[in-house]
This record gives sequence, C-alpha cells and structure tokens, in this order.
Amino acid sequence: MAGGAAVALPAERAVGWLASTDHKRTAAKIGVASFFFFGLSGLLALLMRAELAQPGLQFVSDHAYDELFTMHGAGMIYLFLTPAALGLGLYLVPLQVGAAEVAAPRLALGGFWLYLCGGLAMYSGFLTDSGAGSDTWTATIPLSSSTHTPGVGMDLWVIGVGLAVLGSLLIALTILLTIVRLRAPGMTMLRLPVFSWTMLVTTFMVVASFPVMVVAMALLLAERHLGGVFTGATGSIAYQHLFWFYGHPVVYVMFFPFVGAVAEVVATFSRKRFFGYRALVFSLLLFTALSMAVWGHHMFVTGAVQNQYFSLTSHLLAVPAGIEYLDLIATMIGGAILLRTPMLFALGFICQFLIGGLTGIIVASPPLDYHVNGSFFIVAHFHYTLFAGSLFGLLAGVHYWFPKASGAMLREGLGKASFWLLVVGANVTFFPMFFLGFEGMPRRVPDYAPRFGDLNLLSSIGAGVIALGILAFLANVWISLRHRVPAGEDPWDGQTLEWATSSPPPRHNFDSLPPVTSHAPLLDRREAKEGAPA
Amino acid sequence: MKSASAPLLAWGCLQLLLGAGLAAFSEGAPALLFLAAAAPVLCLAAWNRVRPASEDPRLLPSLSVPVVVLALGVALAALGLTAGLWLCLVGGEIALFGAVWLGRELKEERRWGR
Repeated sequence: MAGGAAVALPAERAVGWLASTDHKRTAAKIGVASFFFFGLSGLLALLMRAELAQPGLQFVSDHAYDELFTMHGAGMIYLFLTPAALGLGLYLVPLQVGAAEVAAPRLALGGFWLYLCGGLAMYSGFLTDSGAGSDTWTATIPLSSSTHTPGVGMDLWVIGVGLAVLGSLLIALTILLTIVRLRAPGMTMLRLPVFSWTMLVTTFMVVASFPVMVVAMALLLAERHLGGVFTGATGSIAYQHLFWFYGHPVVYVMFFPFVGAVAEVVATFSRKRFFGYRALVFSLLLFTALSMAVWGHHMFVTGAVQNQYFSLTSHLLAVPAGIEYLDLIATMIGGAILLRTPMLFALGFICQFLIGGLTGIIVASPPLDYHVNGSFFIVAHFHYTLFAGSLFGLLAGVHYWFPKASGAMLREGLGKASFWLLVVGANVTFFPMFFLGFEGMPRRVPDYAPRFGDLNLLSSIGAGVIALGILAFLANVWISLRHRVPAGEDPWDGQTLEWATSSPPPRHNFDSLPPVTSHAPLLDRREAKEGAPA
Repeated sequence: MKSASAPLLAWGCLQLLLGAGLAAFSEGAPALLFLAAAAPVLCLAAWNRVRPASEDPRLLPSLSVPVVVLALGVALAALGLTAGLWLCLVGGEIALFGAVWLGRELKEERRWGR
C-alpha cells in the first residue's frame, strides 16, 4: 500500500482522552469535572437564595432545603474546590519543576475516576425516594445515623464522599512524589517556584489528613448498617474528631494552591522577583503544620476539647499568614504593575480573603465563637475565605495559565466584566450575612424572623449578580476557544519554567530546558540578556 | 535545602511537636491521631533518603485502560455496600479483572524498558 496517514476514529480518540496518562489531560479532565460540579452546586445555592429572599416557606420544604444546603456545601468542597486545586497542581507542577511527566501517572488517572464516580454517586441521591444527603457537609452523628436519616440517598452520599476523598488523595500523592522525585537538574528545593511550594505543603496536609476522612466515611457507613460504631455521647465526639481532623486542613487545601497562583500572578504582573521567597517557604511550612493543629476550634461548643490549646494554635496562624501578606504586598511595592485580568483577580483575592481571615480570629476565640456558632456569621466567614478568597485565586490562576494550557488568550474585556460582577456579587451576597449572624439568624433554616428580611433580600440579589459573573467567565472561555487569539510561548513575560515551552506543551513537556539558577529562571535569563554587553 | 527529604522531615517534626503539645494539654485519642498523622510524611522522607530517585529515563505509558477499569470496579464495589451484595460482587470482579490487566501491562512495560 502506498503511504498514508493513520486517522484516529472518534471512539479511539475518546478512549485516548479518558484513559490517557498524560498529566495535562488528567488535569484537564479534573478541571472539566470540577467545574461541572461547581455549576450543579451553584444552581443549588441559587435555589437556596431564592427561597431565602423572603421570610416564610416559598417553594421548598424543610427537608428539600436540608438537601440543598448539604449538597451545595459538599459539592463545593469535596467535588469542586479541592479537586480543582489539585488539578491545577497536577497540570503545572511537572512543568514548573522541569519534569517530562508526573511520578505516578496511573495513580493520578485512577484518582480522577474515583473522584468522578464519587461525585456522581453523591448527586445520584437526588434520584432516590429518600432524596440526597441532607445532614450538612459534615454529616454529624447522630443526625446522619440510619435512625435519623434513613434511606439509600444518605448512603450514596457517604460512599460518594469516601470515593471522592480517596481520589483526591491519590492525585495529591502523585504531585508530592513528582516534586520529591522528578525535579530537573539544578531545581533544588529552594529554587522551586512559589506555586510548587504551595502545592508541596498542600500535599503534606492531604497525605496526613485525607486517609482519616476515608476511614471516617467507612465507619459512618458501618454505623448506618451495623450500628455500635459511634454510640452515645463519646461516639458523637469521636466522629467529630475524625471529621474535623480532615475538615479543617481541607480548608487550607482549598487555600494554599491559590496563594501560590496569586503569588505567581503578582510577581509577573508587578514585573518583579517575588519578595521574601525564603520567608514565604518557612511560613508555608509553619502555616500548614499549624493548620493541622486547629481542628478542635470547630468543637469549642461541645465542651469536649482543650479550648486553650486550640485557641492558641488558631491565633498563631496569624503569624505565617501575616508573613505571606507582607510578601505579596512588598512584591507589588515599587513594581511596574499591569492591571490585566489575572492581576485583578489576584488583588480581589488579597483584599477579600483578608476579611475572611480577620473574621477567623473571632471564631478562634471561644467566648466569641459561642455567640456566633451555628449562625449566618459563620456562613459569611467561610464564604469570604472560600468564595471571595479561594475562587478568586483560582480564577486568577485560570486567567493566567489558560493561554499556556489552550494556546489561546482569554478576552480582556469579558474577563474584567466577570471580575467586577463577581466582586460586586460576592460582597453584596456575603457581607450582609455577618450582620444577620451577629443579630442571631441561625444557618441551615429555610424560614426566619421578618426582621431579617431586607438583608436576606439584598443577599439574594447579590447571588444573582454572582451568577451573571460566572456566565460572563464561561462566555469568555467559549468565545476564546472558538475564535482563537494565539498566545505564543510566553504571553505575560512569565518567570517560571512552564513559560519556556510551547502553548500547549508537548506530551513530554519540554524539548529543552533553560538552566535553573533560582525560583525565577526565566527572569534570570531575561536579566542576564539585558545586562549582557551588546 | 537540596534534598526533598529536608522539608518533609521538618514538617513531620513540627507535627510531632504540635502533637506532643496537645498530648501535654489533654489525654486520649486526639493527640494520638495527631502524632500518627505525621507518619506518612516521615516515612516518605526516610524512603526518599534511602532510595534516591534514579536519573535514568523512564518508559512512559500514554494510555492505561486497566487503571480506569480498576477504578470503576472499586467504585461499583463500594456502591454495592448499599445497593446489595450482587453489585459488590460485580464491582469486585471488574476490579480484579482490572488489577490483573494492570499487572500484565506493568510487566510488559518493564520488559520493554530493559
């Protein structure tokens, strides 16, 4: 036969995508799946806010509302932000450390499929007679026992969470092994880019805490079917210890990768080397170690934990957090700041996360926590950290690295429109909740006293603005992929190794690597060129 | 800090220190849970110290269908815990099939790598 080209059939292409061990494809699958679950969980939030726009029951029952907030919280934490953070790391870490591949590509692929199956299992609860999981994202005992929440829907929730957390654990392990084992020649630990450092410490927390959650879910399932696992008051406290030993570190798993993304964006768009690199590295190690030691502050009101110890460790978090903020701000001082969309989202993260962080000091103090625990104040606090903070950090990273991953630039106009809509939406939605909570409005209730009506209406209007912001972002991605503006290798004058390869990178990531002389090798190269005699 | 073992070790030791602090404040399982959680990171540090990464090029798989089959089997078996024994068995068989297939794939890969 004469020469010809091999053409992949659609089915072969599909298998090629679904079973590909290329870390970039696995990360892309995680990204798509996590944004799919973000969409679903976001729709549930809109339903909740629609119900809460007026006092009284509008269109959902008490039980349906329980399902809505449970699946919204669980979806956002187990299925969106945690996997999205790890997916970002899976894509970028090998590129930043100059590796051709991840250390255990099959582990990451298996992790993705377990996570996807877990997510589908959780959401399939809506198709059962008993409905989806309805015991809050923490599934606290005895509420989640088969006596109080019978039915298959809650079982599916427990199994789904276990699978999703196990999948995330495998993905994180892959990233950790890649940093430990596959760094390019010259890439010492103190030359790792800031984002890779944040991923490294994130994976420390994952390998230490996520196995405990998998065990907790297995024990909860055993309790529901066999009983006798978490019995009596001590059983309930034991479950809370197991859960929060995972439940607090996971908040930081959803935070540190985005601090890293924001740090890269701030350095690049300030046209400066990141300030205080070593201080940041040591603060990250201290911060993540301390954040493993604060889970008891979620249990202050139980009276069954050492409040002094957990309050002390929780307050100590302010020290490394302060170092990180100082580094971020000092990087910008004296820089030639370019206010492109990624930088706007980074600035949004820095300002808004600060509100979440400062209100965290209030809930770290037992006497103040007793007042606001179980109120809308807590909802406002963690939405400022996770939505107004982490999501803005994620979007800063997405806008920054989208050209690298796709080869196409995102549109600036739509990017800025989505940024401003999200800023307005986030603050109008979540800031009133501080007042609602402080005045005594409990969380997790579909009905409330009429005096809370105005602020709730304002909050619901804000949720609509957030939806518009997300739609503008999705439109931006769609238009930018359909009508491509080529990005080239390095559209931003980046500082780290991923910008030294083509966009998108080839299967083996690099054809050649520049010498690694610091945590910003491409900046070193540019400075050397500028400083070289003509 | 050239070796990756250093931050692993430092972090693991910080965990032990904080766990010891909790043990001094309180008694019972929470402190033990905390102390045990440092183990995976410390074990990884030790393993990396004892067996440093090889610099030889590796044979990379571009596809791995058996991993997908194994993961789907595990997920189905887990769902069988609520759906019934039949699904546990079906999932278990699929997982076993995937595991054997994966074993063959790894064996083949090693043979090509030599």
